[in-house]
Amino acid sequence: MTDTLFSQMPTIQGMRSQLALRTRGDKFIWAIVVLLALISVMVVYSATGSLAYKMNKGNTEIYLFKQLAFMLIGLFIIYFLHRVNYSIYSKVAWILFLTAIPFLIYTLFFGAKINEGSRWIRLPIINMTVQTSDYARLALFMYISRVLSRKQEVIKNFKEGFLPIIIPVAVVCVLIAPANLSTALLTGATSLLLMFIGRVSFKHILLAIGVAAIPIGLLISVAVLTHKNKPDTELVGENVKEEKSKGLMVRAGTWIKRVQDFIYAKNEDVPYQVQQSKIAIANGGILVGLGPGNSRQRNFLPHCYSDFIYAIIIEEYGLLGGAFIMIVYLIFLFRGIRIFRKCPYAFGAFLALGLSFTLAIQALANMAVSVNIVPVTGVTLPLVSMGGSSFLFTCMSIGIILSVARNVEITEGKVEPESVLMDSPTTKEGETAVATA
Amino acid sequence: MEVKKDILWRVYLSYIFVVVICLVIFGKAVYIQQFQGHYWRSMSDSLHQKIENVEAERGTIYSEDGKMLSTSIPQFDIYIDFSADGLREKSGVRFRENLDSLSLCLANLFQDNTAEAYKKELLYGFKSKDRAFLFRKNVNYRQYQELKTFPLIRLGRNKSGFVFTNRTIRLNPYKLFAYRTIGLDRDSGKGQKVGLEQTYDTLLKGTSGKRLVRYIAGGVSVPIDDYQIEPENGKDIVTTLDVFIQEVAENALMKMMVNNEAEHGCAIVLETKTGKIKAMANLGKFPIKKDGRDTSIYTEDFNYAISPSEPGSTFKLATMMSMLEDKKITLQSQVNLNGGTWEINGKTVFDSEKHGRMFVSAKEAFELSSNVGLAKMAWTSYSSNPSQFIRHLHQIHMDTLTGIDITGERWPIIHRPGTKYWDANTLPWMAFGYNLEVTPLQTATFYNAVANDGKMMRPYLLNAVKDEGEVIDAREPYVAIDKICSDQTIKDLHTCLEGVCIEGTAAQLFRNNPYKVAGKTGTALVANGSHGYADGIYQSSFAGYFPADNPQYTCVVVIKNKPHALRFYGAEVAGPVFKEIADRLYTTYVRQNNYQPKLVKPDSSFFSYVGLKQEIKKIANTIQLPYKDNDGKEDEMVSMDGNRNQVSFSERMIGNTSMPSLRGMGLKDAVVLCEGMGLKVKIKGRGKVSNQSIAAGQFIAHGQELTVELN
Repeated sequence: MTDTLFSQMPTIQGMRSQLALRTRGDKFIWAIVVLLALISVMVVYSATGSLAYKMNKGNTEIYLFKQLAFMLIGLFIIYFLHRVNYSIYSKVAWILFLTAIPFLIYTLFFGAKINEGSRWIRLPIINMTVQTSDYARLALFMYISRVLSRKQEVIKNFKEGFLPIIIPVAVVCVLIAPANLSTALLTGATSLLLMFIGRVSFKHILLAIGVAAIPIGLLISVAVLTHKNKPDTELVGENVKEEKSKGLMVRAGTWIKRVQDFIYAKNEDVPYQVQQSKIAIANGGILVGLGPGNSRQRNFLPHCYSDFIYAIIIEEYGLLGGAFIMIVYLIFLFRGIRIFRKCPYAFGAFLALGLSFTLAIQALANMAVSVNIVPVTGVTLPLVSMGGSSFLFTCMSIGIILSVARNVEITEGKVEPESVLMDSPTTKEGETAVATA
Repeated sequence: MEVKKDILWRVYLSYIFVVVICLVIFGKAVYIQQFQGHYWRSMSDSLHQKIENVEAERGTIYSEDGKMLSTSIPQFDIYIDFSADGLREKSGVRFRENLDSLSLCLANLFQDNTAEAYKKELLYGFKSKDRAFLFRKNVNYRQYQELKTFPLIRLGRNKSGFVFTNRTIRLNPYKLFAYRTIGLDRDSGKGQKVGLEQTYDTLLKGTSGKRLVRYIAGGVSVPIDDYQIEPENGKDIVTTLDVFIQEVAENALMKMMVNNEAEHGCAIVLETKTGKIKAMANLGKFPIKKDGRDTSIYTEDFNYAISPSEPGSTFKLATMMSMLEDKKITLQSQVNLNGGTWEINGKTVFDSEKHGRMFVSAKEAFELSSNVGLAKMAWTSYSSNPSQFIRHLHQIHMDTLTGIDITGERWPIIHRPGTKYWDANTLPWMAFGYNLEVTPLQTATFYNAVANDGKMMRPYLLNAVKDEGEVIDAREPYVAIDKICSDQTIKDLHTCLEGVCIEGTAAQLFRNNPYKVAGKTGTALVANGSHGYADGIYQSSFAGYFPADNPQYTCVVVIKNKPHALRFYGAEVAGPVFKEIADRLYTTYVRQNNYQPKLVKPDSSFFSYVGLKQEIKKIANTIQLPYKDNDGKEDEMVSMDGNRNQVSFSERMIGNTSMPSLRGMGLKDAVVLCEGMGLKVKIKGRGKVSNQSIAAGQFIAHGQELTVELN
């Protein structure tokens, strides 16, 4: 008999619990992922109205389904990655980092130009543009976690502890900077924070900040000087001229302009995006806002579905909604710290901590742009902004964090170790136990 | 333990740092919303909201019988944005893929250029990257609808770059037709309006509304609900003009003017009883270059009917009326014409023809249109008191506007004794229509008053004002002067005017006319600016009414001839135009109204039926009627005429422009035939056609009404 008896089939309950059983890791983080995904679907659906008009004759469902598809792919990535033993990532980090550098170089010279900077490469076959800096950042943070966990004994040493970390950071930042200065700065700052947490000598960190401050100081002083030398009207002409010339000078012009915009803008001539973003925030009330799907500014605020999504959230859901999102990210970070505390192994602990901080800082950066605390940058709100490569990289980060959390649960004996994938909590190839209970 | 603790305080410090930043961000958001909120929200309103004017729809001008004379229709201009993202993406693959099929479709739609030429034009534009390439102007709605289905264009504005801008234009469906009277509304409000469009502009244009709109994606604006003042659409106006009469007048005038190469002319038709203007045609010569030669066309370029000029002999009626009313003369009073010349105060009055007559009666002098006769009588009557004559002119409103409801009527010029323009010869020359200027419309109004037994009606054009099909203001005929003179004088004037058409200057023209016409010819030598009277430019005119025994219509035709024209007499130039108009109106309206059906005595042995030959043959075969078939054609209309017991077939000629004989036809055949020719058929009785209101062989106009009687 080749047929199957119904009675032999696993019960539906059983099938469900099978998935539940295999889904491990921090329950809070899982909940946060699902929650943010739901919020994302609602806000992105509302915010893509203008884009839908421009590209698809007002067919907004296209973006709804696109976003839902990204959600599913993202959840699958998280699930898959969290089933992997995180210790694999230690090796992977090294490979990822080495491959990221040629990618960045390629992007810098041959990348697709979207919104001025050449930050993207178009993947063949699936025809998706990927922001290589996202990839590089993920690789870099994984690599930092690896180095930090391995060099704890010599971490205060300049040559053995500091240099192996700061050199990769510097390389990545320098390669990202021409196309995307803000991401480079954000990556650098996050790296320094991780180094601070990882007990790198404070002197060395200050040194790194000092060295980085030289080009930044130069940029600001140039911005201030050119602004004072020329009246506003000529600046525009200057910009046009600069855009015609090739190479890095193009980007330098944009940076200077942005810095000037941020420093000198009065309310009348703040850049358009900032102005529209502030109008969106002003439109939302304290408690309720305009309501889901009722955003008005989505029609005027460029990139409202990605870079400025936080402004749309406040417009539609009020300050309360904005605070809620903020708290969700803080809880997320707190759970990341909890995983760090619980994790007995150094690499896992650093990995979870580093990636949690990265995502939280990215979220902060996005929100800070929306309320105009920092100049306009192209940073997405993790998990909430409309799908794209950065969304998938965020999912990878979360998958890795959850992988660490799952292993923590296994070591704590809360769950039985499973024989799925290469699942083994034992220390491998020189993983140093930082502490033993 | 040591290491992890060392790390943990750093982690918590970092966490606090993150929380602090969160608070700063949130604080900034609160600040923007709560403290700057008003500023940003008002900026939002000023950026994205605008109060827009909502144009009211301009009213339509109708003829009395309900045809549209002037209406507003949408028109489109096509621009192409050759830099549209969708068009240029992937180095213009979308453009290139659709280029051939689009060119072909365009060539098919507009029929004015080959597909190759369109392709070239589009390619040229594509190369130029012009953001607003003017592709075509004045595309009508039907073409616009079709265009939107074409390849590339149907992909929408972003992908095709095709941009349609919409505007409303004013269209006169009948083109030339009473163009000056109906008027123009150039470019929706810009430029000078003329005619009825201007006179009733306030009625037609309506009131534009206002609404608050918010701009959304794609440059589209949507109205915000509760802030809208609805526009009030313009009212429609119904004129007194009649499409058929106007067409007749326009055609008759055009024909004569082309033949005679005249400078300009006008024809006015008034309804005698009411003063309604049924037609007002104005034609002027307009030089153009055609095939490299100088030639000219005639268009409605100016409203000559309401512009004054020296009237010439048609004015003699006023002189006659004045003298008869003052009992200075009777119709039988004798006057010496001196053979056609008379010297007075050092100047000579000439009759236009050298007739050599001496003593004639006043009536004969008028009928012959003798300048000498009229000048002499007027001189005898009024030289001692010219003001008395002027007073009469004043009484019949010759020195003032008629009050017609159209803008642009110009004042006549009638000199008064005692002014610097008045000299010893003003009076005698005025008597035969010189030294003064009146408009053709004034002449028409005056003749109409004579036709209407002395009651002067004010001429008018506006019949009613309609709003959404409802009449909201109906205009009634207005009596300007109850009685312009005594009944006896009117009777005498009638006799004089009828005499002109029986034994006077227009006798030749109306010989054997089936109805009586009363009218007066006029031939005036007009001054040509600085050249004076030397250029031999004559203004021919004819004023009159018909049928003389029961006047229905008054018509005035004035044509200014070219210098040294071969024909220039009123009876030769303006007269035929008048006659053509009168003939057509008489057959269509006048006779029809007085039409009495004749009783026909049935006679079964003498019959005539019309039908398709094959059908008739079939019938004849069935009832065994002998017949003779002359030719082999089957599919034609024949009439079967029987006389006693012989039957013959004869082919029926059916043209397109002249009325066929319907006699003997079945109702179905007759209706199909007539409606195919554009006639409106009215039916009386049953059976075969026995009578038709338009006689066989007459010209027919599209939309004309035909009454068919069946026995």
